Amino acid sequence: MSDCGKLDELGNAAPPEYPDKLNKIIHLFESLPEEERRETIVSYSENAKKQEPRPGEKFQLEDVRKDEECMDTVGVYLHVDENGKAHIRMTLGPEVQTLTRAMTAILCKGLDGCTPQEIVDLPSDFVTRIVGAELVRVRSQTIYYVLTRIKGICRVWLNRQRAAQAQVA
Amino acid sequence: MATNPSQYAHPEALVETDWLEQHLDDKNIRIVESNEDVLLYDTGHIPGAVHIDWRADLQDAVIRDYIAPDKFAELCSKNGITPDTTCIFYGDKANWWACYALWAFRLFGHEKVKILNGGRDKWKAEGRPMTKEKPSVAKTNYPTPKKRFDKEIRAFADEALAQSQAKKPLIDVRSPGEFKGEITHMPEYPQEGVLRGGHIPGAKSVPWKTATKEDNTFKSADELKKIYLEGCGVTPDKDTIVYCRIGERSSHTWFVLTYLLGLNNVRNYDGSWTEWGNKVGAPIEKSA
Repeated sequence: MSDCGKLDELGNAAPPEYPDKLNKIIHLFESLPEEERRETIVSYSENAKKQEPRPGEKFQLEDVRKDEECMDTVGVYLHVDENGKAHIRMTLGPEVQTLTRAMTAILCKGLDGCTPQEIVDLPSDFVTRIVGAELVRVRSQTIYYVLTRIKGICRVWLNRQRAAQAQVA
Repeated sequence: MATNPSQYAHPEALVETDWLEQHLDDKNIRIVESNEDVLLYDTGHIPGAVHIDWRADLQDAVIRDYIAPDKFAELCSKNGITPDTTCIFYGDKANWWACYALWAFRLFGHEKVKILNGGRDKWKAEGRPMTKEKPSVAKTNYPTPKKRFDKEIRAFADEALAQSQAKKPLIDVRSPGEFKGEITHMPEYPQEGVLRGGHIPGAKSVPWKTATKEDNTFKSADELKKIYLEGCGVTPDKDTIVYCRIGERSSHTWFVLTYLLGLNNVRNYDGSWTEWGNKVGAPIEKSA
C-alpha cells in the first residue's frame, strides 16, 4: 500500500486527506503549544539544507529558477522510482525566509513516497495547521510557493508520461 | 565615498556594529530586533536583543492603525524598556522594519532611539555573536504615553492629497516598476491586494535603497544631500511626505531625512499605496 493511502474506520480504502508522513507532521505541530511550535518550525528550517541533492543522486526533472514572487532562487529536483513513488530534493538561496525553509523540509519529508498524482492532488489547507494562523501573513505567503513548485514539477512529469504513453499507443 | 558619521545631522542616531558589540551588557540600552521574516529572530539574534514583531506587537488587531498608547506601555514594560532606555533597533532587509519600529516608537514619543548601521546582515556577515537564547528582562512600568505623535510624523490620505495638490515634496520610495504603474507589488513579493498601479500625482521616485551602500549601511551625508536636497526638492522649509506600500520602506527614508539630514518636517504616509491604490476618488499618475 502506498504511504499515501489509508483505510477508514471500517477498513475500506478511502481517499487520503493527507499522505501518512505529512499527516504525522501535521498532528505533531497541532499538539504543540505555540512556543514549541515556533521552535519546531525553526528546527525544520535548519534542516532544509539536508533536503538538497546528494552526490550521485539522479533526477528525471530539475527545475531551478528565481521567480518574481520569491526572494531567491529555489531549485526542485524530482526522482520517480521504479514503483512510481516520488522523491523530492530542493535547494534554497540564502534570502529565502525561515517559514519557507521549514516548509521545504516538511514537504520533502512529508511527501516522500507519494505518487506524483497524489502530490498534484494534495490540498494546501494543511499549511495553517502546521504553522498556525498567526504566522501566515501576507508577507509570509511564500510558504505556499514551495508546495506550488513541487506540484508544478510533478505536473510536468505526469504530462510527459501521458505524452509518452500516447505516442506508444 | 567614505562615510563620516559626524557629518550627519544626528550622528548619535546611529551605532556601528563594533560599538554595539562592546556595549552588549550596557544596562541603559535595549537592543530590539524587528524583521520582515517573522521567525528570523528565533533562528538566532544579537545577545540580549528582544523581538518586536511589526504586526503582532505594533499594529492594532482590528483597526488598520497602530496600537493604543496603553498597549505601547505594556509592550515596553514587557521588554524591560523605560522612557530613559535607549532602544537600538536592527533587523533584516537593510533595517526596513527596524526603521519602521523606530518610527512607531517615535509615534508614542519615545525619544531615545537609534539604528544599528547595516542591520542584521552586516552584524552576521562580520561574524559577530548570535544566540538563540531569549533574554530574561526585568519587567518595567512604562507610563502610558499621553498622546500619539500622529500629527507630527505621520500623514494620512487627505494630507497626502493636499500635499500633491499644493505641489509640495512627496517621495515615493517604491521600486521604479511600482512607481511607473507597471506592477502593483514589489518584485519578489506576492500581490498584496492593490487594484491600481501608479503613484500619487507629483511624487518623485527615490527608491529607498538609494540611501544605502552595498553593505546596507547608510550613504554619506553629502551623498544623501545630493539625492534628496538637490535631487528631489526636499528642503528644510517645506513639509515632506514619504510613502511606499504599507509604510515600512518609507520609514527607512523617513529616518534618513529626519535623523541623517536633520529635517524636522517629514511625515510618513503609512497608509501608502495599499490605501491610495484602492481608494475611491484618489488621483493616480503613471509615468514612463
